[in-house]
Amino acid sequence: MKKLVFAGLTLALLAGCSSTPLEDAEAPSDAKAGEPAVDNLSLDKLRSDSLLTQRSIYFDFDKFEVKPEFQDIVNAHAQYAADHPEAKMTLKGHADHRGSHEYNLALGQKRSVSVKDVMNTSGANDAQIETVSYGEEEANQNCQGDECSQDRRVDISYEVE
Amino acid sequence: MKKIALIFITLFYLIPLHAIEVIDILGGKANELSVAVIPFQDDLIENEKNQIHNVIKSDLSRSGFFRVIDIGGVNKLPTSLNDVDYSFWSGLQTELLVIGRVQRGDEQIKVVYELIDVFKEKMMVSSEYSGNIKQDRQIGHQISNVIYEKITGSKGVFHTKIGFVQKINNNKYQLNISDMDGFNKKAIVTSTQPIISTRWSPDGEKIAYVSFEKKKPVIYVQNLKNGERQLVANFKGNNSAPAWSPDNKQLAIVLTYNNFSQIYVMNADGKNIKRLMRSRSIDTEPVWAPDGKSIYFVSDRGGGPQIYKIDLKTEQIRRVTFEGNYNVSPQLSPDGKLLTFITNDNGAFKVGVQNLISNQVMKLTQGRNDEAPVFSPNGHMVLYTQKNPEKETSLSTVSLNGFKTQVINTDSVRNYEATWSPIDF
Repeated sequence: MKKLVFAGLTLALLAGCSSTPLEDAEAPSDAKAGEPAVDNLSLDKLRSDSLLTQRSIYFDFDKFEVKPEFQDIVNAHAQYAADHPEAKMTLKGHADHRGSHEYNLALGQKRSVSVKDVMNTSGANDAQIETVSYGEEEANQNCQGDECSQDRRVDISYEVE
Repeated sequence: MKKIALIFITLFYLIPLHAIEVIDILGGKANELSVAVIPFQDDLIENEKNQIHNVIKSDLSRSGFFRVIDIGGVNKLPTSLNDVDYSFWSGLQTELLVIGRVQRGDEQIKVVYELIDVFKEKMMVSSEYSGNIKQDRQIGHQISNVIYEKITGSKGVFHTKIGFVQKINNNKYQLNISDMDGFNKKAIVTSTQPIISTRWSPDGEKIAYVSFEKKKPVIYVQNLKNGERQLVANFKGNNSAPAWSPDNKQLAIVLTYNNFSQIYVMNADGKNIKRLMRSRSIDTEPVWAPDGKSIYFVSDRGGGPQIYKIDLKTEQIRRVTFEGNYNVSPQLSPDGKLLTFITNDNGAFKVGVQNLISNQVMKLTQGRNDEAPVFSPNGHMVLYTQKNPEKETSLSTVSLNGFKTQVINTDSVRNYEATWSPIDF
């Protein structure tokens, strides 16, 4: 437990270091290793709650706004993060295969930041949320029409899982 | 990498038929010359694809400047000047004839060929090449280059190389280098994670690319001479979209630093990084203008993605594309006069090209899911990725003259994110 608090502190310090915005990423990645931060009771909630078990937020083509039908899911995760300050989550953005790999990487990132922004306003702390993007790299490269909507999403995952 | 030792003996060089600037050949209407490429007199018959005349046929056809005549039914095929029946070939509307002879030893190969103007009944070019037996295809490409330059007045690119990503399965990706027609493929990087955004340096010595091998995108520069690679960008967040400055000294890159994609410029070794501009939108896919004075990039600052240009001196930003609501992946022709990009045309993603003087836009391909266009080093063709739901993802070229498309036969499936070597490679 102590180890984890320390790790969180390191990350917070790094995040606060805004005058030098370009830290090498190697350093903080080690600091993540630690004991489970969330007790079993809370984990049960993550695995059973009807909203918290929903881990994907879907988007329209070339769009990044969180649609009204997904607000409840995002809010539930934000609330969970607010109730468990030691919890850490990753928001992984995705895009469908159409267009360019690079623009889709940027779009996936914008989607994950967009989900994070909603979570921030619902009480989740910035330091608890990491935003990443895989663009179209995990997308179905052969989808057509509505099929592709499955790939336009942000996946929520917790570090302890 | 190794320079081909071609011994070059005779060459009758005349003034080209047409001196064509890149910008002049941009048009849907083909300006083709009909050419018959006759099988060379050759002892080797078993390896058909490596026969010199087949290499030349494929090259000339790809360029969009030549219509290769089918000679399937012709009985008397000449292999030397004395055999040519001019009235027969002009009757077939053949403007040019290519004939030749091959001698193969255990180690060495010698090729002699002639390019003939059928209507004038005159030999235009003749030369002889010697080399290692394994250089047969390269000799074919060199002959294509001479013919190409003779006809268009511009250097051919048939001897150049391309780099591209090959997805073998969900856990195996390769960065390959091959001849520009897909032959002689070899892997220079193998990874369990995706690779994208391959960028050959203007001096030909290095390739920059994005790898997800650190469970997020980071940028490597690989030296093609010694195979060593350097991790040049591994900052917090995503590191992607490397673009070489024309002098090879700098890279423009894109970082998210836990927020939106923004463009930075740094030395090619990763040092001295500076943010190019600040926006509250996506800024990505930077590409340097050939004169080094500006950077073109994609931004969604106006809603959907469009291509913009920033003047590096004045930092003034100007929007470049206006047609359609989705334009991405900008790349410039070597003379800086044409911009190629991917444009969403009512749901079909096509290769577009914009004349940067008149701003006229043309669509070079039909789509539906084309990607990552890049100019050939002479600016006469565009190499791009063709993604079709029914077929496998493949690389193709499209000529600016006549919009001739021809697949690159890499002998493998799922090839994408291509780059083209410089012409002096």
